[in-house]
Amino acid sequence: MRRPLQAVALALAVATGAAHAGRSCERQAPRAENVQRAMALAERTARALDDSGAQVAVVARAGQDLSRYGLVYSHLGLAYKDGTRWRVAHKLNECGSAQAAVWRQGLGEFFLDDLFDYRAGIVVLAPELQQRLLPALADNTRLAGLHTAAYSMVAYPWAQRYQQSNQWALETLAAAQSPGVRSRADAQAWLQSAGYQPSTLRIDPVTRLGARLTAANVAFDDHPAEKRFTDRIETVTVDSVFAWLNRTGLGAPAVTVR
Amino acid sequence: MNSLSLRRVAIATLLAAGLATTQAHPGPSDASALSALPIAVSVAAPVMLLSAGATLTVVAVEASATGTVWVLERASDGARMSVTVGAQAAGGLSVAAGTAVVVTAFSAGWVLSAAGRAIAYIPNEIGSALLYNERVTR
Repeated sequence: MRRPLQAVALALAVATGAAHAGRSCERQAPRAENVQRAMALAERTARALDDSGAQVAVVARAGQDLSRYGLVYSHLGLAYKDGTRWRVAHKLNECGSAQAAVWRQGLGEFFLDDLFDYRAGIVVLAPELQQRLLPALADNTRLAGLHTAAYSMVAYPWAQRYQQSNQWALETLAAAQSPGVRSRADAQAWLQSAGYQPSTLRIDPVTRLGARLTAANVAFDDHPAEKRFTDRIETVTVDSVFAWLNRTGLGAPAVTVR
Repeated sequence: MNSLSLRRVAIATLLAAGLATTQAHPGPSDASALSALPIAVSVAAPVMLLSAGATLTVVAVEASATGTVWVLERASDGARMSVTVGAQAAGGLSVAAGTAVVVTAFSAGWVLSAAGRAIAYIPNEIGSALLYNERVTR
């Protein structure tokens, strides 16, 4: 029996940097209370970031229920203090298309999405990494340096054909931390040497086929065949990035803001 | 009937008792409920109309150089406010004369809603500090 569409959609929601990915451009206005909840969450997150004393942190939102994959957050951005205000550099998929772009937004816009759960995750980065990242985050050329517009929400972490949102942030962080990084391949090599481990999602063939046929922003052809055909789809998730940062001492343990 | 642009138009708005000023940025065209939320680019309103729970009625929808202007009126005393939202294309929300609009105040500003759906967000100083929108790559 074929899986119901809903299951396909859920599998598509698989995380990944694309809080936005997988949905077409909705026209429906948000519920009034959700606007308030999102802005209130942005306000509390700004306060928590202020209180941390940090200049740079990774922030994450929970745009979808990913509990079936053992994941809490769906999308992350690199937040930095610009004067007295926090800005977030992150990558957004465009209307479920196969393209994405890097944006600099406020915490308001970051959370003014159709969130599954009104919680934020914050990882304060190690002081040295903050100092390395801060100038890069204020510099559009450097933000664009490792950006690939071709987008797949489940992009393979060790290939360069596509790039999902969390992957862009992770590779940009790698470039700041390791001055020898000049390309995405360099960044990925460094991340491997630094012990980063992506999440492995179990996605069966029917779901993969359904996704490939119905969603422009999902592709599996960058994954090695031996992994793909055993239903193991590796990709960069927020939770795996948080775990790696903490494990390596590049970041503090994740803090939850509600 | 006027169909309003719902694409996000982020903006800074300082709502002082009377007027707000602003600048507009185009919003991302990604899929999200937010992209259907206009952020007011300017507002002219007597403070009393921004009290929580005020119920207003749209009396006019007008095009202006900076966007679309909604003129809202409180039936009980005829007090009026006008809200300008960016007119960038995208559809989905129709606000026409006669639409009932509720004003809800919260810590980061005000939300105008019709039938439970937000039709505009009016940031106060706290809200404005949390908003910024710039596309870095093409």
